[in-house]
Amino acid sequence: MKSSLPPKKNSNLSPDKENWKAKNPFEEFKTLATPALNLPMDQIVQSSEAIMDRIRWGYEKLLEEEAKELVWMVQYNTIIKAYEVAEKYVKEIDYTAEDVEDFCFAMENTQRIPYLIPGPAGIYISALCNYAKEEEILLKLSELKTEINLIGFRLPRGKRLRIEGDTGDFTGIGLEGGDLVVEGNAKNWTGAGMRGGKILIKKNIGLHTGEWMMGGEIYVGGRVRGLGNIVEGKVYERDKLVYPGKARYPNLYY
Amino acid sequence: MRTNGYQKRAMRIYQFISEHLYFNRPDMEIKGERFNSAILLSLLTGLKKGKELIIGEPGLGKTTSAEYVCSLLYQFPLGVIWGSEVSGHPEQTEEKIIGRPDLGKLNRGEEDVVWTNFSQVPVKIVDEINRLPETKQSMILDGVDRGNWEYLNEMIINDEYCLFATANYQDGGTNTIIAPLVDRFDVMVESRYPGANLSFLIGKDKRKDHILRHPRYESDLYHILKSKIAYEKKVSKIEEVCNAYGDYIEEALEVKSFQRQDRDQIRTEMEGLGLDLDASAFTRMLLAELSFCERYGQKRVVENCEEGCHYTGYLCHQIKNCASNRLPSSIKQYAQGLAWLLEDSEIDIEHIKAVIPYTLAHRIQWKDEILSQKERSKRDDPFSIFLAKEAVKAVSQRYREQSEHLKDALAAGSNIFQGGDLEPLEGDHPIYAEVKKDIDARKR
Repeated sequence: MKSSLPPKKNSNLSPDKENWKAKNPFEEFKTLATPALNLPMDQIVQSSEAIMDRIRWGYEKLLEEEAKELVWMVQYNTIIKAYEVAEKYVKEIDYTAEDVEDFCFAMENTQRIPYLIPGPAGIYISALCNYAKEEEILLKLSELKTEINLIGFRLPRGKRLRIEGDTGDFTGIGLEGGDLVVEGNAKNWTGAGMRGGKILIKKNIGLHTGEWMMGGEIYVGGRVRGLGNIVEGKVYERDKLVYPGKARYPNLYY
Repeated sequence: MRTNGYQKRAMRIYQFISEHLYFNRPDMEIKGERFNSAILLSLLTGLKKGKELIIGEPGLGKTTSAEYVCSLLYQFPLGVIWGSEVSGHPEQTEEKIIGRPDLGKLNRGEEDVVWTNFSQVPVKIVDEINRLPETKQSMILDGVDRGNWEYLNEMIINDEYCLFATANYQDGGTNTIIAPLVDRFDVMVESRYPGANLSFLIGKDKRKDHILRHPRYESDLYHILKSKIAYEKKVSKIEEVCNAYGDYIEEALEVKSFQRQDRDQIRTEMEGLGLDLDASAFTRMLLAELSFCERYGQKRVVENCEEGCHYTGYLCHQIKNCASNRLPSSIKQYAQGLAWLLEDSEIDIEHIKAVIPYTLAHRIQWKDEILSQKERSKRDDPFSIFLAKEAVKAVSQRYREQSEHLKDALAAGSNIFQGGDLEPLEGDHPIYAEVKKDIDARKR
């Protein structure tokens, strides 16, 4: 509050009427030394809020520019285009891995972020992870009701992304040498088009696994429902190599 | 703190009841001293002119504990206390609780009221209050709240009174106590089973309550209560007999009771005890959690929390209703009483934490999911008191983490209120939002 208090309207109050004046509800704390402004905690709270605002703003811009295409048709060129837009906004933000995790949580738990669309959200989170300063990132998504698609898109070499919870379709597509660990299940098209790196899915995985993958390894702790057309690379199911192996045809149970 | 021996006398009454009249196990500890909550809170209720709800299984001394405390604090022979009690049952009437027309005068065409003993004596005990139907509970609302007892066009006002009500756990013959009446009780306490061994001793000691009886004084008091003199005159006559009974108690039992002026003096001393900064900040923090709602402005029993609210981790998300304005008053009253009894110079956070569960237990309406989550937790207390104690623990933990910052925020609030050029401090707790609201209201 910058302004001083309004002038007293009635300065001739009788002693009894003095009690009518608005009482200071914090009266007993007036003896306590007034705290200095901008305590470290304030700064932390303020700066993390400012960062979250920036991250949120970038996501809203991505939705504005690219969401329509991503919602209705997932084609590799639309994904690349959307990722480029996400990259553009993410590069300008100075954030930490913790902020990425806060953003994931905020997507479903605040009304400030307008939509949680699994595709664009995954692209945007992937961009955030790929450009984070930290090499290792943990995202706790087990509380989310929506499974996010496209997580781990283009995860570069030297980065390790661990997801607690399940992921949606297109997990780890276009992986570029990073390590992606999913503690739960992943849906279809996992590792599609990946060029290198490792994907570890601790539970089950869906159809078209490793479609057009060009390299790298996919490890599945549970069951693989179906493999895609794999060009190069390895897929393991419960420590057993299933590609290259006898499963030669896409989505055949073996 | 200046002492005049009143605390020692009060503690002697506590000990006497504890050792001779109401066998029990201590169940609360404050600053290294162990107490039985039922006797301690009854003692404070009597001294502070409070209102206490005593719950428990049948036959575990709910009514008798209140009777002993009232007899020894207010110098009333036990027989008069028995004759002034109101028992809760479906056929209870206003005429039996408050007063009835003077039939003799009515025959002569005059209208006058014969007041019941219950409405006239300062110690009021309502036995099994939850057997009163809901509609009849409202008859005693005003009397319970203000000490005003009205019948026809007449009214008597009790300057000094305290109320004890007992309630059994729900069974086929009980009703719920209506919310406005529940809120008027300052504290709720359980009269607990003392254990097999002490219970066995109670069985052997058949007529322990005769020591607080005195037929002559009882008869004198009944005579005064029945007389047709003005109520104000009755009060002074009653006091005379009570003082004589007090002398008898002192001589026979070596327990010095309190006369009216003693009790007034004690209350003055208690009123002089203020809260220290931690006690005040902690209480504010708790009240904020019990009343705050970011979306709807405050808690209301008819409104549900939003999913994904930022304040999900606080008590406001676990409860349905809003704390009433009587809650802080009850907390302060009983903490004052406790600090006085322990001869402390001000109310600190330990006093506050000790009394809060008992002031809160009957007032909070927990959400069903919280009830089902914690229903089977291992505990010693009845469920409602257990939940209140858990709530106090949770808020204590939060207070430990941010007490300094919170006090700074309140100091900044004071500074801004006095015209200082500061911004309110930010923090992650409903109390900071409440401070801001107060400051914003001041700005407008």
